[in-house]
Amino acid sequence: MTIAEDSVLLREGLVRLLDEHGLEVVGTAGTADKLLVLVANEQPDVAIVDIRLPPTHTDEGMRAALEIRASYAETAVLVLSQYVEVGLAMQLLGDSADGAGYLLKDRVANVNEFIDAVKRVAGGGSAIDPTIVSALISKQRNRDPIDRLTPREREVLTLMAEGRSNQGIAGELVVTLRAVEKYVSSIFAKLDMPRTNTDSKRVLAVLLYLRG
Amino acid sequence: MRVLMPSSAAVDRYLGEPSRLAVHVIGLAGLAAGLILILLADLSDGLSQPGLHAALACWVTLPYLFAGAIAWRQRPESRLGLLMFCAGTGTFVNFLIWANNDLLFTIGLATQFLPPLLFLHVFLAFPTGRLTSRLDRLVVGSAYATSLATVTALLLGFSAPRNRLAIADLPDTASLVWRADLLSVSALMLAGIAVLIRRRLSRPRPLRRAIGYVVDSFSLGLLMIALLLLAGMLRWTALQDPLRLATFSIVGLAPIVFLAGLLQMRLSRGSVVRLIEELGVNPGPIELEQALARALRDPSVKLAYWLSDFGLYSNTDGREMDVSDRDDRTATPVTRDGTPVAMLLHAPELNDEPDLLAAVATATAITIHNAQLQVELRARVQELRGSRNRILDAERRERRRLERDLHDGAQQRLLALSLELGKLQEDLRLEPALSSRVEMLRRELAAGLAELRDLASGIHPAAVTNHGLTVALESLVTRASIPVEIVGDIQRLPEAVELAAFFLVCEGLANVAKHANARSAVIELRHTGDTLVVDLTDDGIGGATTINGSGLRGLADRVEALGGRLDVWSPAGGGTRLKARIPCE
Repeated sequence: MTIAEDSVLLREGLVRLLDEHGLEVVGTAGTADKLLVLVANEQPDVAIVDIRLPPTHTDEGMRAALEIRASYAETAVLVLSQYVEVGLAMQLLGDSADGAGYLLKDRVANVNEFIDAVKRVAGGGSAIDPTIVSALISKQRNRDPIDRLTPREREVLTLMAEGRSNQGIAGELVVTLRAVEKYVSSIFAKLDMPRTNTDSKRVLAVLLYLRG
Repeated sequence: MRVLMPSSAAVDRYLGEPSRLAVHVIGLAGLAAGLILILLADLSDGLSQPGLHAALACWVTLPYLFAGAIAWRQRPESRLGLLMFCAGTGTFVNFLIWANNDLLFTIGLATQFLPPLLFLHVFLAFPTGRLTSRLDRLVVGSAYATSLATVTALLLGFSAPRNRLAIADLPDTASLVWRADLLSVSALMLAGIAVLIRRRLSRPRPLRRAIGYVVDSFSLGLLMIALLLLAGMLRWTALQDPLRLATFSIVGLAPIVFLAGLLQMRLSRGSVVRLIEELGVNPGPIELEQALARALRDPSVKLAYWLSDFGLYSNTDGREMDVSDRDDRTATPVTRDGTPVAMLLHAPELNDEPDLLAAVATATAITIHNAQLQVELRARVQELRGSRNRILDAERRERRRLERDLHDGAQQRLLALSLELGKLQEDLRLEPALSSRVEMLRRELAAGLAELRDLASGIHPAAVTNHGLTVALESLVTRASIPVEIVGDIQRLPEAVELAAFFLVCEGLANVAKHANARSAVIELRHTGDTLVVDLTDDGIGGATTINGSGLRGLADRVEALGGRLDVWSPAGGGTRLKARIPCE
């Protein structure tokens, strides 16, 4: 695991947080260039990247993330940002949500969810910030066929889009795995979407669907 | 340098312009005068060839009457018409000498020298009808003074017994006085010629005014009159008849030539009207000079502009020009409200037409003044545009700096703090009471962070600057209350342009949400050449304007500050369309 974050305070906090949860941090970087060197040398499972990095603090982090996604298939990328943009999420995912995450920095405060997201991304899954998903879903509000979903189905759809597994969704909503599976097949039927094999494929499909 | 007085025409208007009726009356009076002359000659006992005399009398009288009337009507500001009319009348009266009635004969005798005196006056007063120099007035005044000698001769009994004025019977003395009178009138005629020659030598007539030469040549008439009078005095009988014929021919033609001269000046006035029309289309410096050359019929015309800041005259390239008078050139100042604007350099011959020069100078002053105003206005606009740009630019930079400071400072610190709180909460999971208090703190902090994030993006939308307009607009559209479609994909553009376009769409979508009652909207982005075109159309109720809606006005200001323009179409019931063209230099 590597971390690229120019704020020392936050970087050290993250390192300790991950350590405490048994995730080994093999290196930290303050700039995008150092991050790329680190990734090339260490081949970590996950690179956690701040979207704004020196020198210009504009899109250096984002470009580094895309570079890692393109060149190091073994390394998953979790982008942290002070703002979340639908467009950036779609840019980051490209044609696959495997091993990709994009979260608001604020999420680090909710330790369990954050660690879960890091582990999910490290395991080849994905983590999309709830803000993005809820914005996309509310955009489709009052429109067929989203309108035909029950409130519960909409909750499940949101969690699916965030990258949660059926198991995760069941835990979150405190229902059985079977119930979640039932909701999922009902959602796919109502939205007339083809079933997908993996959780991350499901994420991309749902996001593309919601984006319209 | 000659300082031009404004045309004195207005001052001299007191003579008035004869009405159409008056001109007709004068015409009829002229015809009557002709008939009377023919009758006088025919009935006269003393004329050997009454037909020839009548014809000659009509020939020298009627042209003055008619040409005088026409000139008076056409050029009321010149007194020459009235003067010519008087000369015709005087000539007519002088022919009463042919009358068989003694009283009429006496009137004719008393006015024998009046026609030459009036002719002299006309010649010297051409073209204005006024005697401008002291010498002119001296010669003409002396000429009129000789009338005293004429009256004296009559009183002394000249040409008695028919002379009814005779109060003495001194025929020899009277004859002497008469001959002296004749001699002095002849001498004054020659003096008149000298004055004319002197005037021509000091102010040569322009070559291109052929009619000026004709007018000059008619000063020969004065010489002929002098010769004729001398021949009468010296009793050169053999010469008298051919001289009289030649003199009368020239003197009779003169008013027609004068009239032609006056009317030609009228044409020059017409050229001023043309000039003003040409100047109305706002000419450049070169066109202005060409138009002036045409109006003055002087290809050598140059215009020197007064540069008050430098205290010198310059040509259009900004090079200093010498504007002193030279032999082949005169400088006429062009002023406006008493301050110099330019100097009109032209052939000295044009000084003969002060009215024309004054009119052209005035037209030039107005044109240059207008051009200066325009240049000043353009400079001001340029200056304002520049300062508005700089102000907006400074504001933009300041906002970006503030956002960066927030991001790197308070936001990072609070994030680190909320991370620590998260970990603390996890450590306290065995102590639910404490844990829930920490949880509450963490949520408060999260809310504070969200507010701070909104504040920061309100100060400066970092996503636009960092990731471009398309990315930022997609989020904007996702949050919109109605379905909004984005058409067109554009590359990264200068920050100022992207921000202006972003704010435009932001404000536009906010307006749509607030006022338009629309079901959907479309944003079209096009980057063609050097211009970004942003087109925001909704299907709402319309009726938006940039005039009262301060939001739209503010948007227009931002777009215009970048040298672009914002058009708004918003017919009632027909939706609203905002179209901004923003140059991306």
